[in-house]
Amino acid sequence: MILTRTFARGWLGAFATAAVLTVLAGCAQREPDAAGPPPAMRRLTEQQYRNTIRDVFGPGISVVGRFDPLSREGGLMAVGASKASITPSGFERFGELAESIASQVVAPANRDYGLPCTPADAKAIDDACTRQIFSGTGRLLYRRALTEAELARFVALGDKVTTTLGDFYEGISFGLAAMLQSPEFLFVADVTEADPQAPGKMRLTAHARAARLSYFLWDSTPDDALLAAAEKGELDGGDGLATQTRRLLESPRLEHGVRAFFSDLLTLDAFDHMQKDAAIYPSFGLTVADDAREQLLRTIVQHLLVEGEDYRELFTTRRAPVSGALGMIYQMPVKDPNGWTEVEFPKDSPYRGIVTLPGFSALHSHAGRSSPTLRGRAVRELLMCQRVPDPPSNIDFTQFNNASTTKASTARERLDIHNTEKTCASCHKIVDPIGLALEHFDGAAQFRTVENAVKIDTRGELDGVKYEDAAGLGEALAKSPAVTQCVVNRALAYARGTSVGKTDNEMVSWLHAKFESDGYRLRGLFETIATSEAFYAVSAPKADPGATPPANTAALEAAASPENRS
Amino acid sequence: MANVPMMSPALRTGLALAACGAVALLAGCGSSSSGKGGKTLGFAVVGWRTSVYETPYMDECPDGLAQGNDELWWKGVPPEERAMLTRDGTIEPVTGTRRAMSVLRGPKGEDVCWHPTSVKDPPLRVVEGDTSYGLDLDGDATGKGTPMSCPHVNFKSPDGRPGIDNQVYRILGCTYGWRRHGYIEDNANGERRDTSHGIVLIEVSGVDDPLNDEQVEVAFLKKFDGDTLPKDNRADVLPHATYRADPTPRYGGKARGRIVNGMLETDPIDVTLPFYGNLTHLPLVMKGMRMQLPVNKTERFVEGQIAGYQDLANFWDYIQRYEYLLVTGQFSCPGIYVAMKELADGYPDPKTGECTALSAAFTIRTVPAFIEHGDNEPSGVVKPVVTQVASTKDVASTKDGVKR
Repeated sequence: MILTRTFARGWLGAFATAAVLTVLAGCAQREPDAAGPPPAMRRLTEQQYRNTIRDVFGPGISVVGRFDPLSREGGLMAVGASKASITPSGFERFGELAESIASQVVAPANRDYGLPCTPADAKAIDDACTRQIFSGTGRLLYRRALTEAELARFVALGDKVTTTLGDFYEGISFGLAAMLQSPEFLFVADVTEADPQAPGKMRLTAHARAARLSYFLWDSTPDDALLAAAEKGELDGGDGLATQTRRLLESPRLEHGVRAFFSDLLTLDAFDHMQKDAAIYPSFGLTVADDAREQLLRTIVQHLLVEGEDYRELFTTRRAPVSGALGMIYQMPVKDPNGWTEVEFPKDSPYRGIVTLPGFSALHSHAGRSSPTLRGRAVRELLMCQRVPDPPSNIDFTQFNNASTTKASTARERLDIHNTEKTCASCHKIVDPIGLALEHFDGAAQFRTVENAVKIDTRGELDGVKYEDAAGLGEALAKSPAVTQCVVNRALAYARGTSVGKTDNEMVSWLHAKFESDGYRLRGLFETIATSEAFYAVSAPKADPGATPPANTAALEAAASPENRS
Repeated sequence: MANVPMMSPALRTGLALAACGAVALLAGCGSSSSGKGGKTLGFAVVGWRTSVYETPYMDECPDGLAQGNDELWWKGVPPEERAMLTRDGTIEPVTGTRRAMSVLRGPKGEDVCWHPTSVKDPPLRVVEGDTSYGLDLDGDATGKGTPMSCPHVNFKSPDGRPGIDNQVYRILGCTYGWRRHGYIEDNANGERRDTSHGIVLIEVSGVDDPLNDEQVEVAFLKKFDGDTLPKDNRADVLPHATYRADPTPRYGGKARGRIVNGMLETDPIDVTLPFYGNLTHLPLVMKGMRMQLPVNKTERFVEGQIAGYQDLANFWDYIQRYEYLLVTGQFSCPGIYVAMKELADGYPDPKTGECTALSAAFTIRTVPAFIEHGDNEPSGVVKPVVTQVASTKDVASTKDGVKR
């Protein structure tokens, strides 16, 4: 009971605060002041790494390798990335990747795309061409111009290898590989400088602003135009920043950014290790899992980006693309068995809203059966930013799991037994009514109306709103202020790579008011964030007496330096 | 999508889903609504076997299994040559040498599968039993023959129905390669599953009631080879996948049918079906083909039966092309050729009176599937491929000259 009260009080408090702040923010036109988080270094996520390589060297370069996992903090890996290190084995893999990529870039088939010049003699040193390659590529990889000392080191390395091996492109390959395993590339650093407008305070450098903007909207490195704008001081605010933000928002690369944001928000990385019991769900193989993730992202991109529709309608939309493999899950025909078919489900179809898609309902299920609890928890935590406590470690699950002895046929009946435990009931009653509405979808998201020959009851409730089925749940989610507040909260946290705290309440409310007035359009929300002062604000780092001095970085730098490469 | 004209693709697909919910749960099959009235059921044929009735002690083959080509060849090899080939019995004959010698055993070195009358082998050991799978194709239980059939000995079905016609079984039923676990059928099914080639699709439209419907239309189609059969982790084909019908006019046909107590039965049609197996693409040319398939089952795999008259030339083409399986299938071309000519029981030539087809029965294994036609409707026009084969007069007789 204590848990329940605390939990409920926390929610009510959050709602009340949000409501008040929303009203206040709605009246205020001006962006509230924000101190900003301390500067941080964020390790590139796997997708950021891949996107960057593609954008710098072209789509023909394959990135084959494993990456150290990132931890999720505040619901986002983008936040956890600021706490990430690189293990020795992880660094070794980055080294292997770097060498693989570099050798592909200089390969005859790719060098015309990836390299800006051709040496006079492919077997000899060509300093001018070497400098051109390293300065241009280094600028994109390091997200700033190389210093003259850095450039000289890379050129010296390239020349040495060229002389030794008698191959200009080998020299270039070695230099590129060194860049690709440098911490300057692997970490996006919030490099700061004194703020001339506010004596005693810090601000991000122009290049750091460019990187923050680019990784937020594109999930990739800044392009040449953005770096040029940064170097001209156009990202300090005003029209220049607005122009560049709009350019990024209109770029096809925005889709990568949106995919990355929602992959993070919806924990789609869980697909990487999701397993279904093949005896129970033979149709749910690896292809279905891949397509389920892709379907969810395609639905989001189509709805929010291509059509520019209201975010809330993601929970009620009857449209989704269906692949040949997913057609087996839906038990429906598709136009193209080897591609994607755009489908609008009938009005009375059970498939309505993204929580009914396999990318959500199958992901948040057990290997061999559905889970109202996991699904309800996912809705609360991922879509409404509400923390659901973990179950106590001494819970007895036998009653729940052994349906044969309890004679419980449906998940609702099993959970009813389970909920006789007070410690369980306190949390289950806030998540199960959500998940039970999705019980028409089994653990593989296949539609059903009965479980163990008993008709499934999908009635439920979300914070006082009662509904009959998944469609009703979708409607309730679409009307819930917590849902739109949550996406604003997560977008700000994702953009800055830092959890949103109490000090950000006013900012979140202001953003939410703008989001609301803009019809809950994602592109508008991203633009508001990207052009806000809060997005770029940094505060002085807090002194941490236990922190290791920057020797780690130095060691990495030393290890990656051209001189230490064999 | 099949049979839902004049709607947007999205809406049509959506409607199909709604229809599927109603019918698929009942019939357990790929289904969609039909703009022509009634529902459409789809099936992919993922298993295809020559129906061979086997008894526990092989009573149907009293003389044992048919002699393979190697055995027949070896019996004709003189002792001194045997000694040379086996180094006085210390080794087996070298495979390459043996294979060439055994096939080219005509008196002038002819390939006996391409010149089956160049040698006179002992009569093929054919089925002597009285029971077989299949259907009464000519409506004659006496075996005297009809205008569409030659005199022959009928079988009875395992459940006692008389007049069963299945001369392909009589010919191949005692040959290892076609019996249960025989290499030829097992391997062919495995290859079809692995390559997704040569797959027949069955589309049943106008289904008002999957239990009893006096009139439905059944289309036999070739699956587009590029659409892969999705499989589970045991390599069994999954249900409810969508396949595109190959619009190639060479294949397919439409038949009228009816559903009686959940069993779909079709009227006879002449049809060419796709067939692939043992690295061989070989159309199956059938005359008077009929099908029985339960369509009200909820199981993932449902077995049915296809029976009809296989064109004689097409049957011989099938045997010839499997020449490279003479050893693994343990069969002999000349023996089958002679038996085939003698036992042909369907479609007498108006001029010679000789029958030009063999009654046959195949066991099919199906999974529910959705069939997509795209912009091309499948052709119902089929022209059987007929090639000339030698007259019975040109070949030696089977065992006792009695036409079974």
